Amino acid sequence: MIIVLKALISSLFAGLLQLDNVQAGQFLISRPALVGPALGWLNGCPAEGAKIGLLTELIYLDFIPVGGVVPPCGLVAAAVGVLGFAFGGLPESTAFFFGILAGFLYANLEYRLRVLRSSWISGIEAQAKDGTLRLERRLAGSLLIESAMTGFYIFIFSWLLALVSGFGFCAGFGALFRASDLAYSLMPWLGLSGLYFRFSTQVYKK
Amino acid sequence: MVSDKWEVNDGETIMSIELNKDQVNDPGLATSRLPLTAVFFRSFLIQAGWNYERLQNLGFAFAITPALRRIYASNKAFNAAVLRHLGLFNTQPYMVGFVLGNIIKMEEDLARAPGNAEFEKKLIGVKQALSSGFASIGDRVFWGRLKPITTQLCIAVWFLAGFYGWLFTGDGYRPSALVLFGGPLAGIAVYGFFAVYLRWIGLKKGYACGGIANCGLDAMRWPELIRRLSVTGFVFSLSIVLGAFGLLIAHNLPGESKGSLAMKLTLVLCVMALQRVTRKFGRSIFFAMGIIVAVSVAVFTVFNPGKFNIYL
Repeated sequence: MIIVLKALISSLFAGLLQLDNVQAGQFLISRPALVGPALGWLNGCPAEGAKIGLLTELIYLDFIPVGGVVPPCGLVAAAVGVLGFAFGGLPESTAFFFGILAGFLYANLEYRLRVLRSSWISGIEAQAKDGTLRLERRLAGSLLIESAMTGFYIFIFSWLLALVSGFGFCAGFGALFRASDLAYSLMPWLGLSGLYFRFSTQVYKK
Repeated sequence: MVSDKWEVNDGETIMSIELNKDQVNDPGLATSRLPLTAVFFRSFLIQAGWNYERLQNLGFAFAITPALRRIYASNKAFNAAVLRHLGLFNTQPYMVGFVLGNIIKMEEDLARAPGNAEFEKKLIGVKQALSSGFASIGDRVFWGRLKPITTQLCIAVWFLAGFYGWLFTGDGYRPSALVLFGGPLAGIAVYGFFAVYLRWIGLKKGYACGGIANCGLDAMRWPELIRRLSVTGFVFSLSIVLGAFGLLIAHNLPGESKGSLAMKLTLVLCVMALQRVTRKFGRSIFFAMGIIVAVSVAVFTVFNPGKFNIYL
């Protein structure tokens, strides 16, 4: 019961931090390298959380949120990765890859939320015309919806990972878990390569 | 009605306007501390309500509202101004101060010339031009350089503190909370400084030079800043990659044979080459990751080598 409560609190906390990712502040407190150890610390695995967080960040640096592009969400990836390990009971490596998948799929939800907000515009304009617009209420609603949806998404995904974990151990997925261990051990190098060549390209660009 | 002349920054008179003092609350009030500070704090919500139809329009209208309230005394003029800023808007969030400051200044000028459709059109044009210009600069400074540098700072702190779990994923060492949180927070401090500073300076400089389409673009030597950040990032990257190779060798040399070490180094180089090749063909890092996972699964399900000895 306590572990479920912890997962729920962690999900809601991650949902709150998600606001920093796009809608409010953008101070980078939603960065996976911080979210990982923070949620890990809440769930008794700070070092594993830090590893999952930093590797997620290294991988997600490949995506730049320019214009209307909705990149995969690093915060969701790190949160699901950590909860998949601490709450779901998956090996750290497998939880990391499911986290990456969760972050990738979250972009679809973010896209739908943005589309939903587009439908507000005509109503907002009508209110602005007759002077009854309360923009702060609209924005508060937008923040609340985003935070709640993110928390809910992370919590549901963590439950799914708990089911996958139970099924995986029963069905003898040991080889797959070992395979994910090997792939996971190569991820730092994949991320470092991306980081190195990003800057070397910039430096040599005329 | 009082006849007046409206001037742009270089002193050139571009049009005669009629000043209607009844509609202007106090054109000088927006220069006082309170509205600009309120606008500054509200600018942190510039992306709140981001939508596909008008992008950051809700955040921009929300941020500029305190200044508009000061500038326009009548509700009608205020509502019209809010409506004007509910149009399409998109820029790099940390650079929005430059646009906000400029537009506040232009709104003050517009308030002195109510109903001047030509100037209103110019205001919208300047807003769009500035948003595009600063989006381009901001993307290069923040997304392209500063953000990856914060990741490098995190790695550097963990590296120096002796936490190598980020490189050797099987490492069971448990560092203190200070180390774990110190890494990411170091980057956040540097990034946050730039983000807050540019928002505030942008607002002030934008207000000071408001009314011209390239206002604030020369506020800093952007190309030099971008170049310096690139070089800093490159030096960091090179140091981290060399350090990582050094650690890999030092970590494996005592217990492993030279053949095993050579195999691990080859594996690492293959992963780095894979990243380059997939990038060259325009694929994202997920593609390279997918190949690594697929090969790993194939190795362990087809050959079933037990506990493989190439874990890094």
